[in-house]
Amino acid sequence: MTEVLRVRITRSDPAARTDFEVDWEPPMTVLDVLLAVQRDHDPSLAFRFSCRVAMCGTCTLRANGSSVLACQAKVEPGRLRIDPMAGFPVVRDLIVDVSAFWREWASVTPYLVPREDLDEPAVIPPDSPERQRVDPSLDCITCGACFSSCAIADERRDFIGPAALNRAMVLIADSRDANAEERLEVVTRAGGVDRCHYVYGCTHACPKGLDPAASIRTLRRWRLRGLPD
Amino acid sequence: MDFPTEPDIIDTDIAVIGTGGAGLMCVLHAHAADPGLSIALVSKGAVGRSGCTRMVQGGYNAVLDPSDSIEAHFRDTLDGGKYLNDQELAWTLVNDAPRVIHELETRVGCFFDRGPDGRIHQKAFAGQSYDRTVHRGDLTGIEIMGRLRDQMFRVGPRELEDVRALDLVRDENGELAGLTALDWRTGRAMLIRARVVVVATGGAATMWKIAAPAREKTGDGVAMCYRAGLPLRDMEMLQFHPTGLLAGSSRLTGAVLEEGLRGAGARLLNADGERYMSRYDAGRMERSTRDVVARASYTEIMSGRGTESGGVRIDISHLGAEEVERRFPGMVARTRQVGQDLATGPVEVSPTAHFHMGGVMIDRDCRTELAGLLVAGEDAGGTHGANRLGGNGVAESTVYGARSGDQVVHEAAGRPLREPDPAEVAESIRGAYAPLLRDSGPLPFALTTELKELMWERCGVVRDREGLLAARTGLERLAERVALVRAPHPPAANYTWQEALDLGNQVTVARLVVESALAREESRGAHYRADFPERRDDSWLRYIVARSGTDGAELSTRPVEPTRLAPAPEVTTP
Repeated sequence: MTEVLRVRITRSDPAARTDFEVDWEPPMTVLDVLLAVQRDHDPSLAFRFSCRVAMCGTCTLRANGSSVLACQAKVEPGRLRIDPMAGFPVVRDLIVDVSAFWREWASVTPYLVPREDLDEPAVIPPDSPERQRVDPSLDCITCGACFSSCAIADERRDFIGPAALNRAMVLIADSRDANAEERLEVVTRAGGVDRCHYVYGCTHACPKGLDPAASIRTLRRWRLRGLPD
Repeated sequence: MDFPTEPDIIDTDIAVIGTGGAGLMCVLHAHAADPGLSIALVSKGAVGRSGCTRMVQGGYNAVLDPSDSIEAHFRDTLDGGKYLNDQELAWTLVNDAPRVIHELETRVGCFFDRGPDGRIHQKAFAGQSYDRTVHRGDLTGIEIMGRLRDQMFRVGPRELEDVRALDLVRDENGELAGLTALDWRTGRAMLIRARVVVVATGGAATMWKIAAPAREKTGDGVAMCYRAGLPLRDMEMLQFHPTGLLAGSSRLTGAVLEEGLRGAGARLLNADGERYMSRYDAGRMERSTRDVVARASYTEIMSGRGTESGGVRIDISHLGAEEVERRFPGMVARTRQVGQDLATGPVEVSPTAHFHMGGVMIDRDCRTELAGLLVAGEDAGGTHGANRLGGNGVAESTVYGARSGDQVVHEAAGRPLREPDPAEVAESIRGAYAPLLRDSGPLPFALTTELKELMWERCGVVRDREGLLAARTGLERLAERVALVRAPHPPAANYTWQEALDLGNQVTVARLVVESALAREESRGAHYRADFPERRDDSWLRYIVARSGTDGAELSTRPVEPTRLAPAPEVTTP
């Protein structure tokens, strides 16, 4: 007998249907559930996705309360509750307006400001302290799961947020970049690293296994002891 | 809101359609050439996070090592493309690739993996005579597109996010005047008047049952250019990647396991445990080109030597779990996601529709027949000929994206803004709103599935006349129903409506693929005809050109010009 999944989806139209039953067909992800609901039950259901392999970072939502990528979150038979990401205004159903995320991202000058003498690809061994620090923090897909699960970013609009701080740490540690001091100044003033209370929501939520909380600790250390050589 | 809405009008010097590698490199170069130009970035999905450059795994081919050579990369590209390539486009690709890697590293901010000496590491990919593939782990697209997206905060183009381009529009004298579009987040129509338009939306491989690309890739750019009367080439040339994941009815099915696995020594096994590549290309085995390996796997599956779920197996576990996890962490995670494990044993795979070699005819500066219109990346045809090498795709999108950005400045000079023909604009917008205004008719989902099955079965890895004729008839009938497709309300953020519009473009492209595949009565690269299994250099060193005629597509052929390298025979050893 086919096992069934009972799904409740938060909708923006109060009159829209919220409860659905979907056949459980492993391997099944939250994205597969949403596609089945849209195809078989309610074609007006709105949600976003693109690559379905954890690279584009656009299908973020909350499944049973946790901020996840819909394409990566496996589902088991039983009950499933799906809500939009937290901390962002809803456009419709599960689609949110993530402008706030990008405003914070832009505030740290997220692009490399190349040093004047950077004419050739830098020669940096992979086991150098610099790459040891940067590489594990590099594969951010800007999905916003950290923002959605951050107790501080969610509440008030006065925190740069985990993803942007992680990006700042990566660039400050990157010896090819000429803007380290300005960036450190931005992330250590009001709304920066001191707003973090180390709840570790970001680190738990990151679908790429990054540790934004550690990056925030690194930034605080640099403020106290100065930038690395 | 009344439907269809009067379009919101946006004026810009340059409109770039698509925000993958080609679109964003175009913006960077256009801005560098003239910071005073206004640029509108039209993105059907999230800016920099839709399309396929994002999904690049293995990497980027570029000649960096002094012991490698541009000539060798060129020869590999033509050997891989079975000499159907436009040699000037292929030469430009390999010639520019090192410069663009240099730019990505020193200006855009990408950081690619290093070897122990601290220099850029280059790994082995199939079909190449030298290890020249630059990468960031096994998920390279995140680094390239992440950094290109960051650059947009420096350059500051006008980002029209969640805006679908509909049609190119002309003024009363037939000059390009811009495009119509649909802001699907709000459901409102747009008219974008532009002095220059760059089309960089990506290909159409999503229309096969098992397919790799991102959802946005529905041939919008190619269909748009076809409707505008532009010539397309090599439309029969659709690449199947040999190793797509099989994950039942999950959307994960078709996701690619990267080429570097075969480069690193992965073995392909049929259900009997036989390393079957020895019967198809004993010399190169699994490191043969994608067309050869995909066809071999397909033949094994169809001959009853496939697994229960209709696949073959890829096995790299002989390298040891630790080594596989270290070198291919993204791929290991991907297989674990579907309950298998690449690190410790074989994983079931199938050929998966991956990349369209065919597309709009361009010159090396991305110019088309229509003044003011440039095309870059997968929307263009000719660079890869009959088969693309792994690692040449992201090279193409960034190289030609950059070139289109250099070129727009010249195009814009002397081209004023023009007033689009109101009748053309109204017709385009009316067409886009039609599914939303219908009270009855089919929803798009079942029709999409039907299209995918038809193309997979009748116009897939192995083709013949009978199947292609069935595909032609099937597509005719499907087109009639697609013309009646319905979408529910509301108009804002309505993906069902968007899928209905996707379907229109997909069917347009599908018909061109089938007609071109019928015309090519030989086998070459990705195009294999069971009824004409030989490559025929005596009669078919010609490319097929399709353009819109009075009664459907008109096809003609033109000889390939061997301007740099004479065609060499196939190197496989059956």
